[in-house]
Amino acid sequence: MAKSILKGIICLFAAVGCAAQDSAPPLLADSKPIPVLSGYFAFVPTWEGGSPTLVSIVSPVLLVPIGSKFILESRAAFEGDFERRDGTTGDFTGAVNKSLDYLELDYLANRYVTVTAGRFLTPFNIYNERLYPNWIRNTQTDPLILPIGTGSDNGLTLRGAIDADKSVTLNYAVYFSALSNRDHFESERHAGARAGIFIPRERLEIGMSVQHQLQDDRLNRLGFHLQWAPPRTPFELRSEGAYSRVEGNGLWIEGAARFRNIRTNVLRRAQAVARTQVFHTGSVPGANADLPTTDTKRTEIGLNYYLNDGWKALASYGRTFTVDGNSNIWTVGMTYRFVIPLGPRQ
Amino acid sequence: MTTLRIFWLLMVCTAAPAFARSEAESSGTAAAADSSTVVNKQKVSAQKVDVLKINELWMVEGEKRYRANCGRCHQAPHKFPPRAMATAIRHMRVRAMLTEDDVKYVTYYMTH
Repeated sequence: MAKSILKGIICLFAAVGCAAQDSAPPLLADSKPIPVLSGYFAFVPTWEGGSPTLVSIVSPVLLVPIGSKFILESRAAFEGDFERRDGTTGDFTGAVNKSLDYLELDYLANRYVTVTAGRFLTPFNIYNERLYPNWIRNTQTDPLILPIGTGSDNGLTLRGAIDADKSVTLNYAVYFSALSNRDHFESERHAGARAGIFIPRERLEIGMSVQHQLQDDRLNRLGFHLQWAPPRTPFELRSEGAYSRVEGNGLWIEGAARFRNIRTNVLRRAQAVARTQVFHTGSVPGANADLPTTDTKRTEIGLNYYLNDGWKALASYGRTFTVDGNSNIWTVGMTYRFVIPLGPRQ
Repeated sequence: MTTLRIFWLLMVCTAAPAFARSEAESSGTAAAADSSTVVNKQKVSAQKVDVLKINELWMVEGEKRYRANCGRCHQAPHKFPPRAMATAIRHMRVRAMLTEDDVKYVTYYMTH
């Protein structure tokens, strides 16, 4: 009986495989992937509380496909935050910070599982993995809660996305990371997971993340994310929340609208953005040095202008509210995304 | 001379039906061949139409999935060379949690 069921299942899979092959159109036979050097430049001067900072970033991404199942990928960042020597006067000075965001080998095991080993972006919420590059993000300043649970870790990840049916896709990532204090390879010991539901027809994704720190205070962190881009409206909504009892908790929500329906061609490339966010300190303010040490609210509005595929001009204004006083934050700048194939194109 | 003419006429009269028959046969063969060619052409064109339809369906589905998956995070990129695009999409499968089917359709859409 069991053998018959097994045979039946094998036949079913074979039939499904054949059907899939039959319905497949002739793909380009030579579209074997080649190594690609990608990345972006960003120059985003920022004035916070009257003090200017010339934020300059170069972030190359190297992608090296190996065979049909592997890809080696790496991203580094060279960021110079140049500030005036005396705060608001004097010449600009500062060092260039170098960081290795990820250096990972991905193995596409099957349609359900991809195994990632090496240094990876911590899959806690989605901003860190998907929206962080300056050419992608709609508002240039980091969300206040970004330091909660995110960054880079060294270890192993299992991830994948599955079509639950035609209208719903499930995605997941589970990971374990090891402690490392090595320069440019700093990592905490974590175990964590993220799960999401994506509805392609509505372009809506919601999901949540959990993370347990396996060192020091053994913190637990929780997160949720939402991303919605209605198909018939040039509008997108993004939001994330994060909670850590010790570090603090917060939320940001961002809306962005493109003027695609306007008759004037020039204005169709513009995008208006607004984001508001709130952060509350946890039981130990300052436990995470990258988070604000007091309760903070910030609201920003901005305008992005897409000159062409690679170039984006931007400007924004925001107001930060804290018990220590309020301040303005201005940004203006440009980003450029590039892609350079490192091999024969055809 | 007259004898020669009569001989020539006889030759023509006897040869003409045979020639006509062979013409008819050959034209019949050609007609048959033509009809079979037409059938074959129809089959080929039907197959071509099927392939075109499938290609069109894949393009439509590819664009739909491309807009649903890629467009919600970043602006539409140019279509890069096919082999570079294949790399970028493999990268995005990991980074943006694309399904295997998404990868197939989007790759097809972006490389055609």
